[in-house]
Amino acid sequence: MNNLFLASLIAPFIFGLVSFILPKRNKKIPSVLALIVSFFTFIFCIAIFVSKSQAINNVGIFFVDNLSGFITLFIGLFGFLIVLYSTGFMKGKENLNKYYAYVLWTISASIGVAISNNLLFFLTFWGILGITLYLLIAMGTGDAASSAKKTFIIIGGSDALILLGIAIIFKINPFLEISRIHIPLTSSLATLSFICLALGAFAKAGAMPLHTWIPDSAETAPTPVMALLPASLDKLLGIYLLFRISTQIFIIQPNSAMSLFLIIIGSITIIAAVMMALVQHNFKKLLSYHAVSQVGYMVLGIGTANPIGIAGGLFHMLNHAIYKSCLFLSGGNVERQTGTDNLSKLGGLVKLMPLSFIAFVIASFSISGIPPFNGFVSKWMVYQGIIELGKNGSKLWPLWLSVAMFGSALTLASFMKLIHAIFLGQPSSKKINQTKKAPVVMNIPPLILAGLCVIFGIFAMQIPIKLFIAPSINGQLSFSGVWNSSLATVLILIGLFIGFIIYLIGSLKPREVNQFIGGEDLEKNTQMKPSGVEFYNTVREIPLLQFFYKKAEKKFFDIYEQGKRLTFAINSFFRYLHNGVLPTYCVWVLLGMIVIFLIIM
Amino acid sequence: MLALFIVISLGAAFLISLFGRKSKVFCDITCNISTFALFLLSLNSLFVVRQYSTVVYKIGGWIPPLGICLVLDGFSAFMLVTLNLVSFLIAIYSINYMEKYTDKYKFYSLFMLMVAGMNGVILTGDIFNLFVFLEIASVASYALVAFGVEAEELEASFKYAVIGVISSSFILLGIGLLYAYTSTLNMADISLTIAQKGFSSVILFVSVLFMAGFGIKSALVPFHAWLPDAHPSAPASISAMLSGVLIKVLGIYSLMRIFFNIFGVTEVMLTILTALGAISLLVGVFLAIGQWDLKRLLAYHSISQIGYVVLSIGLGTPLGILGGLFHLFNHSIFKSLLFLNSGAVEYATDNRDLKKMGGLKEKMPVTSNTSWIASMSISGIPPFNGFWSKLIIILACVQADRIGLAFIAVIGSILTLASFMKVQKFAFLGKLNTTLDKIKEVPVSMRLSMIIFAAICLFGGLLLIPHLMEYFLKPAVNVLVSGTEYAFTVLGG
Repeated sequence: MNNLFLASLIAPFIFGLVSFILPKRNKKIPSVLALIVSFFTFIFCIAIFVSKSQAINNVGIFFVDNLSGFITLFIGLFGFLIVLYSTGFMKGKENLNKYYAYVLWTISASIGVAISNNLLFFLTFWGILGITLYLLIAMGTGDAASSAKKTFIIIGGSDALILLGIAIIFKINPFLEISRIHIPLTSSLATLSFICLALGAFAKAGAMPLHTWIPDSAETAPTPVMALLPASLDKLLGIYLLFRISTQIFIIQPNSAMSLFLIIIGSITIIAAVMMALVQHNFKKLLSYHAVSQVGYMVLGIGTANPIGIAGGLFHMLNHAIYKSCLFLSGGNVERQTGTDNLSKLGGLVKLMPLSFIAFVIASFSISGIPPFNGFVSKWMVYQGIIELGKNGSKLWPLWLSVAMFGSALTLASFMKLIHAIFLGQPSSKKINQTKKAPVVMNIPPLILAGLCVIFGIFAMQIPIKLFIAPSINGQLSFSGVWNSSLATVLILIGLFIGFIIYLIGSLKPREVNQFIGGEDLEKNTQMKPSGVEFYNTVREIPLLQFFYKKAEKKFFDIYEQGKRLTFAINSFFRYLHNGVLPTYCVWVLLGMIVIFLIIM
Repeated sequence: MLALFIVISLGAAFLISLFGRKSKVFCDITCNISTFALFLLSLNSLFVVRQYSTVVYKIGGWIPPLGICLVLDGFSAFMLVTLNLVSFLIAIYSINYMEKYTDKYKFYSLFMLMVAGMNGVILTGDIFNLFVFLEIASVASYALVAFGVEAEELEASFKYAVIGVISSSFILLGIGLLYAYTSTLNMADISLTIAQKGFSSVILFVSVLFMAGFGIKSALVPFHAWLPDAHPSAPASISAMLSGVLIKVLGIYSLMRIFFNIFGVTEVMLTILTALGAISLLVGVFLAIGQWDLKRLLAYHSISQIGYVVLSIGLGTPLGILGGLFHLFNHSIFKSLLFLNSGAVEYATDNRDLKKMGGLKEKMPVTSNTSWIASMSISGIPPFNGFWSKLIIILACVQADRIGLAFIAVIGSILTLASFMKVQKFAFLGKLNTTLDKIKEVPVSMRLSMIIFAAICLFGGLLLIPHLMEYFLKPAVNVLVSGTEYAFTVLGG
């Protein structure tokens, strides 16, 4: 077992190093190498997942329980799919050897985070993951340097908080094996440690208030990078940490202060991020705001602190990783083939890129929580967790429930905008009409992920919950409402079929005409088409929201910007003191000496 | 053998000033060979300490309380390795870098004089002797700061010299009072006498004088004001030397040796040390983050990193001392590297202003990659060496029930990260500034030195492996933990 762990850690690391020192000119070898290595790593991950039952007794530096087993499995899967996708997407770009090296290191470090049983190892791998994220974002275009800087300050800064949290844990009980630590959340010290670790998890997963690096880097980073890290691996690992600290290392009681803390963070994240998503013009940025918003559901689910809610949070984490990387990848196809990610320049791609369209629509339905796709099941479980909260005496549960549901509705709304603007409607220019289909390697990964969305939705109970989710949480799962997803799917399909028949009967011979707008032929006046970009612009005009949007656009709610402002205020005060005059400095020396003198005497 | 540390470096300084004017190659060779020899000797001293724990060399055969003696124990061996490793690598770097300046031989002889002074400070067992060596190193450094003889450099050197003299006079006054009280200058003997006579107010006053005097040398806030002027003005290899080892040898080493081993440290003094450390840490980093002059930014970071060291040692627990000393070593590595990087950038672009740089990554791969590694190290990002020492420091703070201090250390770490991200962004990432089209990577000796430093940053964490720790860090920690037993080991051995 230990050999398996080492193989899955070391193989990607070593071959990453090989790829790193390959000459720059070589464009082929790094991608082939990365593909092979990531495939074998995936195999190792499957092996780890399959053999996890034997490993539980054998606890060393590394260990795998049900939770980390399935996380490892999906790290391997995403790693492989994204490398496969990158062989198409990154073709012809510069510095490919470094790109693949960083991706392989990312896979290695992520597996390391999932299987570490020692908090120090955990922190080391976690830190390395931050470095590779920084390096990958810095490879992007545009103002990549700024967003990489911001990302790493937030991620690296939260690592320092995690370090503090771990130090406090070590103070409370003098060992660092994750599997042995169980601390009641009673003392203030333990609470402080919990908050530090939770903030680390928030920064990684992208919950508010530490989410601001995701939208910023979305604009500049290469799309596969967004699909790999903020969309999938960072979610898996961030929520993994949150799950570990709130159910194993510390144990949150329902209706406790910490539970409320998580619920509030979750709710705010859901609603605020989705409101921002509604008004974006750049589809990568729009998707990235959803990547933030969906984290809210996971945090909310874990915050309910009852089995069904926690299971919902975990399941949502898995589902989110699947559909969000599917969205980024199929969106990446569009970006790669058309050369733009600006919604107002796209449109009408449904005929030109049908496969990308299918994957995108399925994933959009998933993220919006439409049955029978997987996103619905996990959101349904989170809702049940919130209702359960009410049964245990929480007064505020209707508020949380309505926030979560409202957020879901707004998600659907913003995806309607996105689908319309990219795939439906009229092409915005002649150039778009010449768009070619994406190559096969770029279509396979999104389609596989879309397939997973469907399977995990229809057979939710039989496959993902039975295999991955239920074993990971220790409590019994009890569903208060009945949701038989397979039956529901059949009913939905029947409904669709009947609708189709009615459609056929009702419109046997439709009349086809050109589209006109204002008396002009739309084909010739593409600037007059409804591109979808303007959808929901009125949301901005609502008095109270207008205020918030204005502030948000000035980055008023960005903790990074506020921290910067505070830091520079303090800085200018100190600079004012340092006036460069020698006698002043001599006076300081004397004053300092006098103070020490007074203290000692 | 112990006398060799001083003899070789002083001899080299003498030879270079005598014959160096004729041939630059002679200077290069002499300086590099002698620093390399010193480095090997210091490595050897680790094994000697492992075997005999404390070695006393009596100069002229006089028995310790009467004559001057040199003492090698775990702490001094640790400092010797740090000092001589850094000075050797900087000597390599200087071969090409100092071509920019005239009178290379003067630089080398002053450099060796400074190394001699620092070796002497580390080894001596006599407090007045310590003062003499301290002055040798300081005076050499005043001259080196002014080496460029431009207006800015002269001003910096003047400020540095004035404040340095204040510090020296405090120290001298302290030594005088101590001599009057104990009638001896041998450090071990002083310690014994104080133990017999008791802790009177004279000793307290002397403590204050030393605290301020050595506080100036180690640039603790509020005694730091000379540093941000002096360190950037010197040639880069000297800035690296000043920030990397000088403030540690003259300041931290002497401070710790005197307070831990001679006076026997008390709770009040520890509190003062941690307070000074915490203030330096925060003030230093807040001042650093707003700087646009690369070397000035680095200089302020020296203040803040010294804060970490003092804060951690000031906890007084073995873990805290371990963290502090390890951070001291790590800091001398990555800060020297950062200064060398800034020197390389200046060498290539004639510029220290971050706003006028950008995109250097394409043109100067070695400089930018090594500087990236050093930035990661100083910001405490795993797996680089700075991470491990910060880890121990924060663990030690929490273990000692000082959550507030741990929190300050965390804040400092975040801000350090932020300011080095700024350096990376403005200097190395982004688009190449059009005026910098023709720049080239720096010559081979500078690259070699930076690469070695970067490798140490990358693998420095391995020093915590128990087997290696037995040789390098553990003996040094033991010396400080055992406190005033120093006197018995020196006089008995």
